Amino acid sequence: MESEIFAQHISRKFNEDLENLRTQVSNMGGLVERQLAQAVEAIVSGDSELGLDVARRDVEVNQFEVAIDEESSRILATRAPAAADLRLIVAVIKAITDLERIGDEAQRIGMLAARLATEAKPRDRHDELKSLGEHVQEMVHDALDAFGRLDPADALAVVEEDKYVDQEYEAIYRQCITQMMEDPRTIRRFMDVSWAARALERIGDHAKNISEYVIYLVQGKDIRHTEIEDVRIHVERGERG
Amino acid sequence: MPAVWVSALTRLVLICLAGTGIGWLYDQPLAGLLIAAGGALVWNLLWLYRLDRWLHGERMRILPDGSGVWSQVFARMDFLRGRTKLRSKRVKALLKEMRQATRSFPDGGVIINASHEIVTMNKVAKSLLGLKRKQDRGLRIETLIRDPDFIDYLRADRNDSAVEFLSPADSERWLSCHQVPYGLDQKLLLIKDITPQRQAEQMRRDFVANASHELRTPLTVIMGYLDALAEDDGLGDELIAPVTEMQRQSNRMRLLVDDLLRLSELENKGLAGEGRPVSMSALMAAARQEACAMEGCPDTIEIQIESEAEILGDERDIQSILSNLVSNAVRYTPAEGKITLCWMADDKGGYLSVIDSGVGISKQHLPRLTERFYRAEDGRERIGGEGGTGLGLAIVKHALQRHSADLKIESTPGEGSRFTCHFPKDRVVAAA
Repeated sequence: MESEIFAQHISRKFNEDLENLRTQVSNMGGLVERQLAQAVEAIVSGDSELGLDVARRDVEVNQFEVAIDEESSRILATRAPAAADLRLIVAVIKAITDLERIGDEAQRIGMLAARLATEAKPRDRHDELKSLGEHVQEMVHDALDAFGRLDPADALAVVEEDKYVDQEYEAIYRQCITQMMEDPRTIRRFMDVSWAARALERIGDHAKNISEYVIYLVQGKDIRHTEIEDVRIHVERGERG
Repeated sequence: MPAVWVSALTRLVLICLAGTGIGWLYDQPLAGLLIAAGGALVWNLLWLYRLDRWLHGERMRILPDGSGVWSQVFARMDFLRGRTKLRSKRVKALLKEMRQATRSFPDGGVIINASHEIVTMNKVAKSLLGLKRKQDRGLRIETLIRDPDFIDYLRADRNDSAVEFLSPADSERWLSCHQVPYGLDQKLLLIKDITPQRQAEQMRRDFVANASHELRTPLTVIMGYLDALAEDDGLGDELIAPVTEMQRQSNRMRLLVDDLLRLSELENKGLAGEGRPVSMSALMAAARQEACAMEGCPDTIEIQIESEAEILGDERDIQSILSNLVSNAVRYTPAEGKITLCWMADDKGGYLSVIDSGVGISKQHLPRLTERFYRAEDGRERIGGEGGTGLGLAIVKHALQRHSADLKIESTPGEGSRFTCHFPKDRVVAAA
């Protein structure tokens, strides 16, 4: 009982290959989600050991990317897929690049956490990072859910969420600048905080990309660089390519 | 042959004969027979037609009574229909009951097939895991519950344990999942919300950590004054003994508080990072020195290093594992006995053993030995020095857990004991 879009192949093995590919992307996503959660946890609670652990484990994410990449090329070469199947492979290849980037950003946050932990924490204990971090985690989670369910409506919700994350990042950035101007001794620390916020904002963008691939995959329409209103109309019409 | 059939047959024969007879009167016996047989056929067809209409649900609710053989067939059909109705009613009621039972089940349940596609789930599972009931049917569960620990557990196909992970729907909520084989090639996942247990556990840990911390400060003050008192020349003779005893007891209390703090620290930390490799030879030498400084230390402490391999982990943890095991050994080994520290490695990992020729431990104590404050006192007379805090082996156990290692205790009363820590393969590396 595979998902209906890909269930029309005569070869059972082909169906299974495609399903396995999708599952593997989800597994990689799970790992990346955990990396991100721990990186945020490390920076908010000032746990340098956890931060370094996250940084060290980035290798696992990279290995995942290589394995899925190989598998996708194998399917392309041996099955010569067309239409929805081809779109699935293309979407997978793109999505894992974004997942890998999310992993890299999590690694960077982990390193920053390790460095920030050695310095005195400000009174608000990086609360603003916590809220941004949770927001971004939710986006990644929802994007991967949409990928698992192949649900363009959920994917669209993630795309729309990105602008709030951008606003939050903007606010943190301003706050950091104000703090630095007030007391130049804190410049180093607030530079790190704004780098971490920047990394989180980038992760939000990658989650948005993944959601866009879901819409492309299900409806066959590339919505990158399109006005969000047009996309919404398209998704609501429920067209299928 | 039943009577109805005999009479039906007789009737047919009679009709045919009568037809032939009448035909014979008119010199056409064959035509007479044909008309009679045709009449009988039409009559039967008529009943067959009614039966067919009834079967096809042209709802003549009540079956026609029929006549002759047909009445018997119709009666039988009516009876069967009644029985089927009753049965399906019962099955429906049973099904409803089952559904209600699974719905009111306090834990979540998800049934998945051999390739981990969701077959069905109950309401609790839906809300705990954040799944959508209709939409997610047929999706592989790994695409929606992506926690790496959960996936490993699912693939490992182990039924003996459960896995704990954060709910995908609510990152504050901890779930435990237990898989059991179900039906043909299917699996039932039992999902439980364990957040309250985990919170209680955390509260207990926090309490122990805070309490020990608060105890330490006044203790330091008391010990400071006691030291000053003991050194005071003006101290009356009758007070020397009590002050010394007070010093000894407060010292013991400090050790206890330190151990409690160490233990709660170990409990609160997750798995140890794979920092720098820890070399065993230096640690063992240090442990031997420490042991020699203890009161009642046996004459021979031997170090056997059979492998150059090193452990990936927290050096402080491994040091405290070793020093706790060694001080335990010293405490229960007579002066003429022998203690051996041994480090070896094979393809299954590394083995750190502390072997003594002391009093040994009887079998019934072994499983509970690592519990806090558990003492196997009977027949295990302490030989050397002051008693431990009763937390040593608990510390060892928790420090080992941080390295995914486990502790094996073998002992023969009167002959000695062997404590072996087994470190898994991925924690052991060849020396650089």
